[in-house]
Order: sequence, then structure tokens, then C-alpha cells
Amino acid sequence: MSVAAKDAVPKQRRFKLPEYSWSWLSIPSLLVAWMLIATQFPSYILPQVWDVAHEGYIWIADGELFPHIWASFLEEVGGFGAAIIVSMVAGFLAGFFKGFREYMVPLNGLFMAIPPIAWAPLMLIIFGIGYTTIVIVIFISAVNPMILTIMEGVLQIQGQEVRAARVLGAKRWQLFLYVYLPASLPFVTAALRIGFSQAWRALVAAEMIGATQGVGWMVQMGGEIGNARQVLLGIVLIGLFSYLFERLFFRQIEKRYEVWRLA
Amino acid sequence: MAERAVERIGGDNLIIENLHYSYGGKLSIFEGLNLDVRPGEFLAVIGPSGCGKTTLLNLLSGFYSPERGSVRLRGKPIAPEDPNLGYVFQAATLFPWLSAIENVEFGLRMSGMPPKERRERAQRYFDLVGLSGFENYLVLRLSGGMQQRVSLARCLAMEPTLLLMDEPFGALDAITRESMNDELLRIWDELGQTVLFITHDIDEAVYLSDRIVVFSRPPGGIYKVVKNELPRPRSGPTTRTADLFWKYKKELIADIAMVTAQRPTDEAELAELKLSTEIERKAEKQASRDTEN
Ligand SMILES: Nc1ncnc2c1ncn2[C@@H]1O[C@H](COP(=O)(O)OP(=O)(O)OP(=O)(O)O)[C@@H](O)[C@H]1O
Ligand SMILES: [Mg+2]
Repeated sequence: MSVAAKDAVPKQRRFKLPEYSWSWLSIPSLLVAWMLIATQFPSYILPQVWDVAHEGYIWIADGELFPHIWASFLEEVGGFGAAIIVSMVAGFLAGFFKGFREYMVPLNGLFMAIPPIAWAPLMLIIFGIGYTTIVIVIFISAVNPMILTIMEGVLQIQGQEVRAARVLGAKRWQLFLYVYLPASLPFVTAALRIGFSQAWRALVAAEMIGATQGVGWMVQMGGEIGNARQVLLGIVLIGLFSYLFERLFFRQIEKRYEVWRLA
Repeated sequence: MAERAVERIGGDNLIIENLHYSYGGKLSIFEGLNLDVRPGEFLAVIGPSGCGKTTLLNLLSGFYSPERGSVRLRGKPIAPEDPNLGYVFQAATLFPWLSAIENVEFGLRMSGMPPKERRERAQRYFDLVGLSGFENYLVLRLSGGMQQRVSLARCLAMEPTLLLMDEPFGALDAITRESMNDELLRIWDELGQTVLFITHDIDEAVYLSDRIVVFSRPPGGIYKVVKNELPRPRSGPTTRTADLFWKYKKELIADIAMVTAQRPTDEAELAELKLSTEIERKAEKQASRDTEN
């Protein structure tokens, strides 16, 4: 018995180490693969990593990179921000009121069946090339899955917790503020995460059709003028921002409730 | 400490009168339950699983409304939000996003008590249930029994005058349970709440109560009420070895055996019965129509 117990301890430790150590390898291995494949092609077709890095340096040195990033950022803020506000209100209402839920869910389903980029031509006709068109496409793509996620979350909040709060004297608004809101935090974060990535994809796609600036436009324009380095630079930036946002923003929110949810 | 609850609620009984309740009109639980509870009385309720004990507390606390009859305290039905009401649920229903002590503070916070004062009060009840040192634990990191004690402290901190407790110590081991029984009696002695205490444990019912209500299977309601004459103050070694204690215990064991042995309402059989009467009625109708023609 005690022998088995002694054996078990180091085994556990041996299993734990790799969990922590292998993720550092994923990005470098991708870069190495890129470099190896790039050796087989001329630079104007598949440029090397350092060519793209140099391209990035030129864009920065010219002061041209930042305006594009800023333009994309403002579009994301506008479309995603509006989606957050609308989905919070609609999601909670749909969670609380059966009638509203029954009305809302078919609409969400309908909009989610249509790829958001399909709206872009119509918006271009109505609003022309530029900010409004892109923000609306982003909004449509983000808001529907967000509403559904928040609604599901509110529906899942256990009646028991609400009952307990009522016996402790919580009034209606206090129930909302001190029970529904904290209890729904995991779902709201999930909704934000889904909404953000949907919005970001839609943004890049929409910029390729109806913009004169932005990272999506960079990729599109690079393709048109046959500049593979610019295309790849754009792709790297798109991935990078998505990754940074995930790390800096959603991870931080999640940490706050991870403890009590997984405990 | 707080003013005794008896003085606050005055001389009014908790009155349960001709109470009827069924789930969805099908599963009948109570068909005319009557019970008066004196202010400051400690009433224990025991009965077989599924006999409607939790249902009764839901009716008393206003979560359910009686189909017929009434539940009244000072002439009025009780609402869940009533500050006089405390309810310890059968399963600890804590708020997992709050720490243990914040859970105990919750109700005081809702009533707008200033932070320092409410922390002091919460701490007092926290210590009382023997959890000192676990204040900042997330509740899901506490054991089942500890969670149940947080839930008890959370309820007591509101200092309610009517305390509904649904098997509050069911998840505790025998030793902790006995010490919690003593704590509860001490608090009750000090504050004088009216207590409705549900339990499966005969010892616990006898040790704590002034009266013991035995429920039978639904829709039976009260099978028997035992007046508990064990002297107070009670203490483990003396009370639990008293002849009277054993007399009650034997009596209740026999009663529980009796109500448990009662044939449970066989729903399939019941449905069949209904169906056959339905067929009979139809046949009769048909027959009467036939004779008319
Ligand atoms: N929400 C509900 N809907 C339908 N039936 C219910 C509901 N809650 C309880 N019941 C039924 O009512 C009966 C009484 O349930 P109740 O929870 O009051 O029993 P109990 O005496 O508290 O049992 P236990 O000692 O096991 O907790 C049971 O047969 C149960 O199946
Ligand atoms: Mg029960």
C-alpha cells in the first residue's frame, strides 16, 4: 500500500511537466516550415520570413502601417461595440421573457444561416465604400451568435440561487445586479469571445470588398498588385491582433471566474 | 445581541389552515392540512422521503401558493422576501462567485447594512457555525458539510423570527451534527425564533424539538403529533440518555415503520382505476342513449 503510494507521486510529476512545455514550439515550428517551403519558390511568389519582416519595417518606417491598423481597429470597435450593447440587452430580455425569446430565436437562426459577407454588396449600394458599410457587416455577423449565447446562459442560471437570494431579501433589481449578472459572467465572456472572432473575420472580408484602408484592404491590394510580401504581412497582422486580443483581454476576464466555475 | 424574536413577532401563531396542494393537479400532496405553531416553538417534522416536507416549506415561504386553505403569520400570507423569514434549503445553494464570508454577508448587503457592520455580524455567525479560518475560501472549495454550515450562517445572520430548515444537517457527520444541534439550541434559546425543522433523523428530532410532527405518505398529511416533554436546557449526555428520550425514540421508530409500510399510492393502478371508471361512465352514457332511442 505505502509502496504504491510512493510510486504514484513521482509518476504524477513526470506527467505534469510536458503539459507546460510544448506550446512554445508551435509558432517557431510554423516559421521553420514556412522558411523551408519558401526555399522552393522564388521570392516574388512565396517570400521568406525575413522578406515579410522587412516589408513590415518599410511600412512602419513610411508611417503607413499605423493608419491601416487604426482604421481596422475603429471599425472593430464600432461594429463589435454596438453588437455588445445590443446582444446584452436582447440576450437578457430573451432569457427572461419567453415571448421575446420565441420572437427572437427564429430571427437569429435566419441571420446566422446567411454568411455575413453576403450583406456587403447591399450595404455598399446603400452606404457606399467606407466605415458605415463595414461596421454594419461586422455588427450583423457578431450580434446573432452573441444573443443566442447570452440567452442560453441566462436560461441556465439555476432557479435555486435566485430563490436563495429572494429569501435573503433581494429585490428585483438586486436579483439582476447581484445574482443574474455575476452568474452570467461565464456566458457573457463566451459571447464576447465568439462575437469578437466573428466580427474580426467579417471585418477582414468586408475590407477586401468595400474599403480603401485597413488590414483586409492591405491583403486584397497586395494580391491585386502581385505583392506577395504585403499579402503575407497582412495575414500575419490579422492573426497577431486576434491572438493578442485573446491573450490580453478574454484571458484576463476569464481568470476572474475560472476559479469559482472550475473549483 | 438582537432582541428576542418572540418579542418581535408578538403572540401570533403561524397558522396553517385546511391546506390543499397538488403538483399540476395530478399528484396530490396535501388535502386539508391543519397546524398551529406557537411563536418561539421548535417544531420538528419527520416523515418518509417524498411525503411533502419540502413542499410544505415551499408553501410556508410563499414560493408556492396553496390551492385551497391558507398559511398565515399575523393574519397574512408570507412572501419569500419577508425579512422575518429564514429558509435553509435542503441542498446548500450558495453563490459560487462569492467567498464563504461574502455569502454570509449577502442578505445584510441586500438590506443596505454598511460594510463594516455587516462584516462583523457575518463573522459572528461564521464563527458560530465553526468555520473560522475559512472566510476567504471560495464556497465550491469547501466540503459538502461546510457548505451546508455556510448556508446556515447566511440564514441566521439575517436574524429571522421564523426559521424554516430543510434537513440542514443531513450532510454532516454524526459528531459535527451533534455539536451543530447544540449550537442551534443555544442560538434558538437566545433569539427565540419559531423553528420548523425537517429531518430524517429521529434522534435529532427528539433532541431539539418541543413537538414532533410525523407525516405519512401523500396525500396523507399529518399522521401524528408527539408532544416532547424533555426538560430544557438540553445537553448531550443528560438528554440523550434520559428514559424519556428513549421512550420517544421507540415510539417514533414504530410510527415511522408504520407510515413507511403504508402502501404507496400506486400511480399505474390509480390511472387504471380512473380509466376503468371513464369506460364505465361512457358505457353508461351509451346505454342511457340506447334506451332513449
Ligand atoms: N416540482 C415538482 N413537480 C412535480 N412533483 C414534485 C415536485 N417537487 C416534488 N414533487 C413530488 O412531490 C412529492 C413530495 O416531494 P417533497 O420534495 O415535498 O418530498 P420530501 O418530503 O421533502 O422528501 P425528501 O425527504 O426526500 O426530501 C414527491 O413525490 C415528489 O416527487
Ligand atoms: Mg425534501
